Amino acid sequence: MFLEILRFEFSYRKNRAATYLYFLILFILCFAAATSKYVTIGGSGGGQLQANSPYSLSFMTIIMTFAVTFISSAVMGVAVLRDFEHKTESLMFTTTMSKFDYLMGRFWGSFFVMVLIYSSIWIAFMLGFSLGKFLPWDPSWKEKTMHVFDAWHYFQPFIFYGITNLFIQATIYFAAGTLSRKPLLIYTQGIILFVLYEITGTITQDLENKDLASLVDPFAIRTFQIYTQYWTPAQKNNLLIPLEGMMLWNRVLWCGIGFIILAITYYAFSFNVVTSSWFKNKKKKVVKDVAPTIKPENVVIPLVHQFTNFSANLTQLWQQSVFYAKMVVKEIPFIAIVFVGFADLTINSFYFGEMYGTSSYPITANVLGFLSEFDLFFLIIVVFYSGELIWRERTVNINLIIDALPVPDWVGLLSKFIGLIFIYIALLLGLIFFGVCVQVAHGYFNFELPLYFETLFTDELIFLVAFTLLSFFIQTIANNKLVGFALMFVFFIINMFMSGAGIEHPLFSFNSGSLGGYSDMNKYGHFVSSFSWMKLYWLAFVGILFITSVLLSVRGTESLMKTRLKIGQLRLSKPILTLAISTLVVFISTGFYVYYNTNKLNKYITKEDQEKLQVDYEKTLKKQFDNAPQPRIVDVNLKVEVYPEERDFTAEGYFWLKNKTTKVLSDILIQNDILHNMKIEYLKFEGGSKVKKAYDNFGFTIYQLSKPLAIGDSVKMSFKTKFETKGFVASGSNTNVVYNGTFFNNNYFPSLGYSEDFEIGDDDTRKKYKLPEKERMMEQNNPIGLSQSLFGDDSDYIRFEMVIGTSKDQTAIAPGYLQKTWEEQNRKYFHYKMDVPMVNFYSIISAKYEIKRDKWKNVNLEIYYNKGHEYNLEKMISSMKSSFDYFDKNFAPYQYRQMRIMEFPRYASFAQSFANTVPFSEGIGFIQKINDPEKDLDMPFYVTAHELGHQWWGHQVAEARVKGNAMLSETQAQYSALMVMKHAIKPELMQKFLKYELDKYLTGRARESKKEQPLALVESQGYIHYNKGSLVMFALQDYIGEDKVNKALQDFLADWKYPSSDGKYKRYPTSQDLLKYFKAETPDSLKYILKDMFETITLFENKTDKVSYKVLPNKTYEVSIKAISEKFRADSSGNEKPISLNDWIDVGVYGEDKDGKDKLLYIQKYKVAKKDNTFKIIVKEKPKKAGIDPINKLIDRHSDDNVKTAVLEENL
Amino acid sequence: MEKLKTPNFMQLTITNLNKTYSNGVQALQNVNLTINQGMFGLLGPNGAGKSSLMRTIATLQEADTGTITLGDINVLTQKEEVRKTLGYLPQEFGVYPKVDAVTLLNHLAVLKGITNSKERKELVESLLQKTNLWEARKKNLGGYSGGMKQRFGIAQALLANPKLIIVDEPTAGLDPAERNRFLNLLSELGENTIVILSTHIVEDVKELCQDMAVFNKGQVLYKGNPFDAIQEIEGKIWRKRIQKAELADYKKNFTLISDKLIGGSPVIHVLADSNPDGTFDAVNGDLEDVYFAKIFANA
Repeated sequence: MFLEILRFEFSYRKNRAATYLYFLILFILCFAAATSKYVTIGGSGGGQLQANSPYSLSFMTIIMTFAVTFISSAVMGVAVLRDFEHKTESLMFTTTMSKFDYLMGRFWGSFFVMVLIYSSIWIAFMLGFSLGKFLPWDPSWKEKTMHVFDAWHYFQPFIFYGITNLFIQATIYFAAGTLSRKPLLIYTQGIILFVLYEITGTITQDLENKDLASLVDPFAIRTFQIYTQYWTPAQKNNLLIPLEGMMLWNRVLWCGIGFIILAITYYAFSFNVVTSSWFKNKKKKVVKDVAPTIKPENVVIPLVHQFTNFSANLTQLWQQSVFYAKMVVKEIPFIAIVFVGFADLTINSFYFGEMYGTSSYPITANVLGFLSEFDLFFLIIVVFYSGELIWRERTVNINLIIDALPVPDWVGLLSKFIGLIFIYIALLLGLIFFGVCVQVAHGYFNFELPLYFETLFTDELIFLVAFTLLSFFIQTIANNKLVGFALMFVFFIINMFMSGAGIEHPLFSFNSGSLGGYSDMNKYGHFVSSFSWMKLYWLAFVGILFITSVLLSVRGTESLMKTRLKIGQLRLSKPILTLAISTLVVFISTGFYVYYNTNKLNKYITKEDQEKLQVDYEKTLKKQFDNAPQPRIVDVNLKVEVYPEERDFTAEGYFWLKNKTTKVLSDILIQNDILHNMKIEYLKFEGGSKVKKAYDNFGFTIYQLSKPLAIGDSVKMSFKTKFETKGFVASGSNTNVVYNGTFFNNNYFPSLGYSEDFEIGDDDTRKKYKLPEKERMMEQNNPIGLSQSLFGDDSDYIRFEMVIGTSKDQTAIAPGYLQKTWEEQNRKYFHYKMDVPMVNFYSIISAKYEIKRDKWKNVNLEIYYNKGHEYNLEKMISSMKSSFDYFDKNFAPYQYRQMRIMEFPRYASFAQSFANTVPFSEGIGFIQKINDPEKDLDMPFYVTAHELGHQWWGHQVAEARVKGNAMLSETQAQYSALMVMKHAIKPELMQKFLKYELDKYLTGRARESKKEQPLALVESQGYIHYNKGSLVMFALQDYIGEDKVNKALQDFLADWKYPSSDGKYKRYPTSQDLLKYFKAETPDSLKYILKDMFETITLFENKTDKVSYKVLPNKTYEVSIKAISEKFRADSSGNEKPISLNDWIDVGVYGEDKDGKDKLLYIQKYKVAKKDNTFKIIVKEKPKKAGIDPINKLIDRHSDDNVKTAVLEENL
Repeated sequence: MEKLKTPNFMQLTITNLNKTYSNGVQALQNVNLTINQGMFGLLGPNGAGKSSLMRTIATLQEADTGTITLGDINVLTQKEEVRKTLGYLPQEFGVYPKVDAVTLLNHLAVLKGITNSKERKELVESLLQKTNLWEARKKNLGGYSGGMKQRFGIAQALLANPKLIIVDEPTAGLDPAERNRFLNLLSELGENTIVILSTHIVEDVKELCQDMAVFNKGQVLYKGNPFDAIQEIEGKIWRKRIQKAELADYKKNFTLISDKLIGGSPVIHVLADSNPDGTFDAVNGDLEDVYFAKIFANA
């Protein structure tokens, strides 16, 4: 009988077109993902990672089970529900079959069908990857390196992770459908699964939670990501993800839950005809028909007034709207979605704005960003309930009664819309309340309610309105609820791939227009105007959709489009026609206005156009002009007029250019900054010049000097350049020049020579344009690279003077010392001048500021901050003082007499070091919150110390522009900050910091798209020069001593201060130069660590197997540590080979202090020369745990297994 | 536009009405009817086109050709006007399950345009009393029995004193007592209202209607007064008790309009001008015979 039902279920599905449709959808999606560049699943592939590597295949297979939830819910949810919907349950249940046969037959039959549908995935991948190169649509296929075909790579993830995921989903949907018998409740289950997945994403921000997250994710996506987080490209290309460790436990847990759910379904399902559902009130009251107490015959029906005028219609509209709103609110699935949404927010609120495990202050702007996580739930509510409401009357079969009522056509649809709006408003108010609660819970009381309303009741509400009306339209046109839902889904998919296919213009991207993120400094700034126009445009668009829906909506029984069009004409009354025309006029005119702004006032460039321009630039100019000898800027003197209200500025003045080459120069190559649409009003050379050739589309001009520039001579170049904001742009609106918080640098000004930075850097994109692969940096022995600093080949060091004018209420700041400030023509002017050489890298800043001042020795310390952001000023000041103390003493004296930090809007999140000037984003540091100084890292303190470190590393010694350069600046700035921190905070916090650095390094190298470099050859790879740099430098000072490292740095600095192409060494230093100083301070026995740390990629696997101890007679403890050590060397792709050990490695023992916290009792380096080692250590206090490399000084992928708890040895 | 219902003479005229569904079924074929104030019965088997006609009059369905006028209102284009005077009870309908009777009826009353809340309250209460739902008025409609639901349907059809009431198979699913009560209610509605009642139960029409039409396969087979109809077949209906086995023969040889089992053996009615073969008994034809005569004679 069981088999019979299974077969029945199978053949039922076999005859359904939907089954094949599901298969086809998945197949097309996966085939497209495998063969075209427009469709990607999970964004894997590219760079070093092969598109069909086992890793990519597994990832795509798992991600697809996620997408399959929709199909599972449709197939599994209705397996039993179907019998009830078709009212055949009584036929079914009165046969002789058993409950077990019935339920299990239905379940396994449907599940089998699901597995077959899901098989489309591996079939599509297999076909796609084998046929890809023969298909016409992606010509770059032939260039791709592909993994050799191995069928197991397709089947293994399908079986281990795919089918198990299907099973889990299947049980949940089957249970929901069988027990609740409500279709909408089935979908809710999918949402719960998704929320679980979401939550795991949130909690993994804390490194401690990775195991928990690995277990909790029902899809095993997070588990997969965590399991493979440190896999190098080579491993990803070669290894399958084995079913072991957390991958195994996750599967066991969730399959177990699946079986439990199945069992519950079995026991809870009542196998009788009374369709009592679990979720409905079981004892549903059947109303008794009571004999009348009033004689109906005697009742007289009163005559009443009937009103059908407009005001009556408004009453009806209001009545209907409230009626619908109440109806939705009572729906159990609705309550469930809202509940789950808020539960998700609640969990996420614990991990508010994490950065190295420290939280941000819940300022309203941050809370708003956080509340936007509810968007997903909003979208679900919009799609489901707009569909439900459109179909409401027809679903309960009251439509003919309602349709025959004397209500105008627009009232019906409009009331459904307004009903939903009521619900949205209630939810938005709920979100605001929730946001305020989060703020209170974090002890923050500056609620900024207007900002909540300003954001949620514009951007968010319009988003809801737009999608609701779109969904109304689609439901009306499709005239089938499920088809409507499917079309909405298709719409989202198309939307996602549209920009990939080159359709980027906001006029074509539904509901485009953004407020651009809120900054306490600049508020919503200039985004408000483009936002308003775009939204007006889209509101008019959905307005037209809505009017069309009203005209074509089904009233009565006619559902043929032809008939509906005929009826629609009847409905087109004068007021409706007027409204339709005026909406259309608004739509067209705003469309034109937007177009005028984006394409006429401004130049509209698609991503592809931009790439083509870059390709052209490279092809036209590189050969001729790359590294052509040019003079260098030695003096900068500019007057900059900033007009914040207009978002314009001009810069006028001169550069002195000196010929430092060995040739006479007559051609000067000037590159205008076309990326920012700068306009050079004039540019002239003293002594005269003429334009020899101008490449206007590249902004590249060759000036021929009337009097060639002799060797060693200088020429004055005067110019005026202008930045103008006109209207608004399609995308990438400029956030440097803004109403309050302008911050830009000399990139905007004319520069000398061909600009290599403008070339396309990404190799995958270069392949697309048939350009050769590009090295990221020059070799260390390249004389061109050696003759220029990281700040470019325009200059060595400059003299600097600048006058900045700005609005009266703003303060303008540039590097140098303030000479004078005055007011003129209702504007404010600031005159800055630098008295020592500085690099050719300067910032121009203008904003309304509060100032905090302090002093370190004779150095003026100033922080320019936005009012209200006082939280961390003290920490920054104290960091400045500690940093100056340390750097001044250990490296070299500070070259300036002042240090200023200025806040800039959070459009970018970084801090940057200019000469005696550090712009610092409001998004980091200023609003960082240190809850518990015992547990949380002090990020403002650290970032300040890092940027101050750059005053030495980068500003005193600028490095050559060759491989390994960032090891001299960024890595040393990291080291500087680490040392300041080390003396200011507890070692445990230091270890926590380094643990994050280790995680970031390992994750970074796993994502390397080109090649991983050793630190000494780093090519602008942040994970190496920052994160690995921190680890390496911290280990180095531990191995050879802080003094020795500082001595090396001090010597290096003394020798290399202010390097220049015409200085002492005639070049800039490289990492090799610094390494020489390190080598000089390193004893021979440890020289190998320099090779391991700086010159190669070396990894360790240190693991403690067993720790035991025994009590010795003299009240001491002998700890015995059994440990395993391995050492590996990796190549640039991450292929590793073991190398022999002969290393000094820490062995340590922890005890317990009074508070029960870990206390290091013993730490000593041991020479480890073989894999298995046992260490015996005697300590005076009772040991708690012990291990090898216990504080993770070495790079180790499993840093958690280094320490084990000590157990008391049985006395034998 | 305010309108206090005052009796004025009205007539519903259906002229050459045709409707073919997209699946090819001809629901209405050249229907011509004039319906005066009072009760009008539409008689016909399931699928005859009664509901199609009623939905078309109730502005819920389009006609391919033909016209319908109500007084001087063009029903097919001036739908709003029709809806103002219409009370409609569809053949099968549902209710919002989680709403009680008072709330829904009040809601529907607002939608009918009864915006004065005092008037509306009185009306809703009287209708609930009239349809004997008063005791159950605060209960969710989801729990109503079929008969109670049907009575609720009638209550809503009577909102706002309609001048045109269309009730599609209203007595289906009602027990005999309820049916009586309902028919009484309909007959009370007075002479100045057009009430169109469709049914396949001949008794309903016989008891209530001054006028009737017999419908089959989209065509009007007969229209007129029920008594005229009965008169028309007077002396033409012949009855005989036969054996089951003989039924086929009789069907072949005579215009058999009905067969009923009485006491286990069939009793047949045959339409003929005179006693067909002398073995039949003459009977007084009733409306049911008219109905079957019209349907089978034209089949």
